[in-house]
Amino acid sequence: MLRFVTSRLIAMVLTIWAVSFVAFAIIQLPPGDYLTTYMATLAANGDRVDPAAIEALRRQYGFGEPYLVQYWKWVSGIVLRGDFGQSFEWKAPVTTLIWGRLGNSILLEGLAVIVMWLVALPIGIYAAVRKYSLGDYLATIGGFIGLAIPNFFFALILMYLSFVWFGETIGGLFSPGMENARWSLERIWDFASHAWAPILVLSTAGTAELIRILRANLLDELKKPYVTTARAKGLSETRAILKYPVRVALNPLVSTIGWLLPALVSSSVIVSVVLNLPTAGPLLLRSLTSQDMYLAGAIIMLLGILTVIGTLISDLILAWIDPRIRYGSR
Amino acid sequence: MLAAAAPALAQQQSPVLDALVESGELPPVAERLPANPLVVTPVEGVGTYGGTWRSALRGGLDNAWIARTVAYDGLVRYDREWKQIIPNLAESWEVSADAKTYTFKLREGLKWNNGKPFTTADIAFAVELLKEPSYSVGGFVKNPNNPVDIEVVDDTTFKFVFEKPNGVIMDELASVNGFSIVSLNKEYCSQFYPKYNPDAAEQAKAAGFETWELWMTDRCSWATETIRWANPELPMMNAWKVKEPLTGSATRVTFERNPYYWKVDTEGNQLPYIDNLEMRVSDSVEELTLLALNGEIDFQDRHIATVANQPLFYDGQEAGDYRMGEEIQSSSNTMVIQFNLNHVDPKRRELFQNKDFRIGISHAIDRAEIIDVVFTGQGEPFQVAPRPESPFYNEEYAKQYTEFDPALAAQHLEAAGLIKGGDGMYTFADGSPLVITIDTIASLRPEWPDMLELIQLQLQAAGIKLEINNIDRTLYYEKRPLGDYDAQVWGGDGGLDVVQEPRYYMASGDESVWAYRWAQWFNGSRPEIAEEPAEWAKQQMDLYNQLRGEGDPDKRTELMKQILTLGQENFPVIGVSLPGNTYYIAKNNMRNIPPTLFQAYLFPTPAPYDPFQWYFAAE
Repeated sequence: MLRFVTSRLIAMVLTIWAVSFVAFAIIQLPPGDYLTTYMATLAANGDRVDPAAIEALRRQYGFGEPYLVQYWKWVSGIVLRGDFGQSFEWKAPVTTLIWGRLGNSILLEGLAVIVMWLVALPIGIYAAVRKYSLGDYLATIGGFIGLAIPNFFFALILMYLSFVWFGETIGGLFSPGMENARWSLERIWDFASHAWAPILVLSTAGTAELIRILRANLLDELKKPYVTTARAKGLSETRAILKYPVRVALNPLVSTIGWLLPALVSSSVIVSVVLNLPTAGPLLLRSLTSQDMYLAGAIIMLLGILTVIGTLISDLILAWIDPRIRYGSR
Repeated sequence: MLAAAAPALAQQQSPVLDALVESGELPPVAERLPANPLVVTPVEGVGTYGGTWRSALRGGLDNAWIARTVAYDGLVRYDREWKQIIPNLAESWEVSADAKTYTFKLREGLKWNNGKPFTTADIAFAVELLKEPSYSVGGFVKNPNNPVDIEVVDDTTFKFVFEKPNGVIMDELASVNGFSIVSLNKEYCSQFYPKYNPDAAEQAKAAGFETWELWMTDRCSWATETIRWANPELPMMNAWKVKEPLTGSATRVTFERNPYYWKVDTEGNQLPYIDNLEMRVSDSVEELTLLALNGEIDFQDRHIATVANQPLFYDGQEAGDYRMGEEIQSSSNTMVIQFNLNHVDPKRRELFQNKDFRIGISHAIDRAEIIDVVFTGQGEPFQVAPRPESPFYNEEYAKQYTEFDPALAAQHLEAAGLIKGGDGMYTFADGSPLVITIDTIASLRPEWPDMLELIQLQLQAAGIKLEINNIDRTLYYEKRPLGDYDAQVWGGDGGLDVVQEPRYYMASGDESVWAYRWAQWFNGSRPEIAEEPAEWAKQQMDLYNQLRGEGDPDKRTELMKQILTLGQENFPVIGVSLPGNTYYIAKNNMRNIPPTLFQAYLFPTPAPYDPFQWYFAAE
C-alpha cells in the first residue's frame, strides 16, 4: 500500500507540472495580450495612449519575452515564493484574489457533491431493487428531467419563481453585511438560506446521472451467484444487498471522484454568473476574456491540482472498497 | 414658495456627524469647509440628510459606475445642460492669449477626506508621477504631441504650461478623464515613490510586488481604476469615501459620507445629503434586474436599462415603488458601418474609397425595416452625424442617403465601377467576384448581428454579397493595424460630444477604423504603417490642429463646423439609425434628479447631475 501511494504521489507531481505547462500555453494562444485589451478599452473611452507608456507597461509585465522565460518566471514564483504573479486587470497579486473565491467554490461544490450522493444512493439502490415499480419509474422520470434541464436555465427559473412567489431575489451566498462576518450560528443559517438554491441547481443533474449509473450497475450485480449465495446463507435482504453488490456497483462512481471537483467548478461557471455566486467560476471566465493570464493560469492550475488530488482520493477509496485493486499493485 | 418647501430638518451638517463633533473627534463643520465652499443649487429644492443609496456593479471590475456616482470631482466640471464648463475644485482659471498657459486658482482651505489640506503640491505630485515614463498611461499629462509642465505659484495657484497651444484641455479636465490629476495625495502616495522614499523599491519587493510601480498602482491608483476603491486608506476628495472596499471577492462595496466634503446647498448645508452608498457586486444582470423590480435599487441606469427590459420595468413601477426617467444617449447611431479605406488590397481600397460605392450601399439599406424589427420601432434613419440635441446638428448631414431606393443604389454602385454579373450579383470591373466580409462582436452588442443579418438580405437583393464575421474583441483590435479587413462595425460615439470624439467625422485616432492608417499619419503613434491621407482628410486634420490650439470657444465651434462640412461631403462611414432614448430607474422618494438626463461616457451620467444633492424625501 505504501508503494502504491508513493508511486501515485510521484506521478501527481509530474502531472501537476505538465498541467501548469499546458495551462500557461493555452492562455497565451489567443491573439494579443492583456495590454491589447486594456489599450483598446482606453481608446474606446476616448483616452489617448502614449505608445511609450504602453511599451513600458509591456516590459514591466514581461510581455514579449519568449514563452519559456515567461513560464519559468511564473512557475518559479509559485514554487519558490508561493507567488502566483499579478492580476493585470485587478492590478493586485493573484493570491489575494483567488483564495476566498476558491474556498467558496470548494465549500459549495463539496456540499453539492454530498447532497448528490445522499440523494442518489438510496434512490439508485431502491430503483434497482424494485425494478419497474412505480417508485422506479418516478425516479427514472425525475432523473431524466434533472439531466435534461440546463443548469443555468434551472437557476433562472428558480430566481423567477422565488421573485414572483415570495418577492425575494435569490442570489449570492450571504445577505448584505454577512459576507465579511465571522462564522457563527447566525452566519451558517444565513449561508444555508442562500446556498440551497445553487446546491439544488448544481446537484440535480449529477444526482440524476448517479441514479442511472448506480441502478444499472446494481442490476448487473444482483443477478450474480454470490448474491444468491448470500441470501441462501440467511443474510437479511438489506445486508445481502448493501454488504456486497452495492459496494461493487459503487466502483465506477468512486473511480470518477477525481473528475467531480473540476467538473463541478467548470459546469458551475454559468450558474455562478446567473446566481451571482462569489466562486472561482466567474473570475475564471472574466480573466480568460480579458487575457489576464496569471489570474487565469492560477485558477486553471489549481483546478488541475484539485483533479489530481481527487484522483488520488478516488484511488484510495477504490483500493479500500475493492481489494482487487490493492492486490494489483503488489 | 421656496421657503415653504424647505424642510424643517435642514441643518448645517448631517446628524450622523453631530456626535463626532461633540466628542471632539471631528472639528465643527465651519472649520471643515473651505473659505468659499462650492454652492450648489439643488435641482428641485433643499433636501434632508440621511439614507443609503442602493445600486449595483456588474461584476468586480465595473469601476465606471463608481466613477459615475462618486468620483466625478475634477478641477472643473460640466454644467447640467452639458453646455458650459463650471468651477469645481478650481474656483477660477485664466487662459493666456496664446492658449499655452492655463492658470488655475484652487479654493482656499480644501481638505482631503482625512482632514489634511489639499493644495497645489498634490497636483504637482500627480503630474510628476504621471509623467514618469514607466508609470501608468497618464492621459493628457503624457500626450507626446503636446507635453505639459506644471508651475506652482502658491498653495492655491498653479499653471499648466503646454508646449503648443491647447484649446481642448478644459474639456479634457471637465470630462471623466479630468479626475486623474486631482486623485493623488502627496503625503500618502509619496511613500511608494523612489523619488521621495529611497527604500520604496525594496519595500515594494517585501510587500510582494516586483516593482515600485506595481505597488504604487495597488495602493495609490490614479483616476478611476478599479483598484482605487480597494484601499480605504487612500485619501480622496469625493462626496463619499470607501468603507467596505472593492476586492476580488467582495459581494458589495459601501461608501460613507466624507465629512470634509467641500460643497454646500443654497442654504449653507454641507453636502452630500445621502449618508451611505451600497453597491451590490453581481455578475448576474438577471439578479440586478430582479433587484430593481423588487425595489431594492434606488437609482440605476447602467446594465439594467436595456430595450428588452423596458416593458418589464414599466409594468413593475407600482409594485417596486420606483419611477422611470428619460435618458438621451450621446451616441448618434445604433451601428456604424466602416469600410476600410486603407485596405491593403489595392482593388478593394480603390472601391471602398469611392464615395459612390458607399452611397450605393447606404441607399440599398432599408432602415425602416431594421428599426421595426430590431428596435421595436424606436429611433429614425440617421447617418453618423451630430444628434438633433447638439448645436452642431445639421439635418442634411444626418439624413443624406438614408432613403431606401434600390434604383438609386444600383446607379451609384455602377458609377463606382461595379459590374452586374449573370447571377444578378455585382463583380469588380475586371469580372472578379466581390464578397465583402464585415466584422462584428456579438458579445459586445447582441443587436449588431441581428441588424447585420437584415442588411445582408437587403444587400443581397441589391446585388452585393455580404459575409458576417462574428469574432472576439481582441482579434477585432489586432486586425486593425494589419489593414486586412473589409469593414468593421461599432457604436455611434460622438453624437453629442462632437468636438471631443470626432472619430467618424475625420480620421482622428485608433477608433477611426475606416481610415486607421490615415489616423496614424495624424497622431504619429505608429509611423511604420502611417499613410498620407486624401486631400480632404488632410484639410480636416489641419483644421483640427488649429482647433486644438484655439483658445476662443466660438472660433473652435467655427473650425469644427468646417471639419463637419468636409465629413458630410466625403461621407466616410455609413450609419443606420438614431438610437431611441433609454431610461433610468429611481425610487419614488429619491428626489432632485432631473426627469431627463444626457447619457455619455465623457459626460459621466449621472455625475453631472450632482448625486450629492439627491436625497430621500420623508414619506
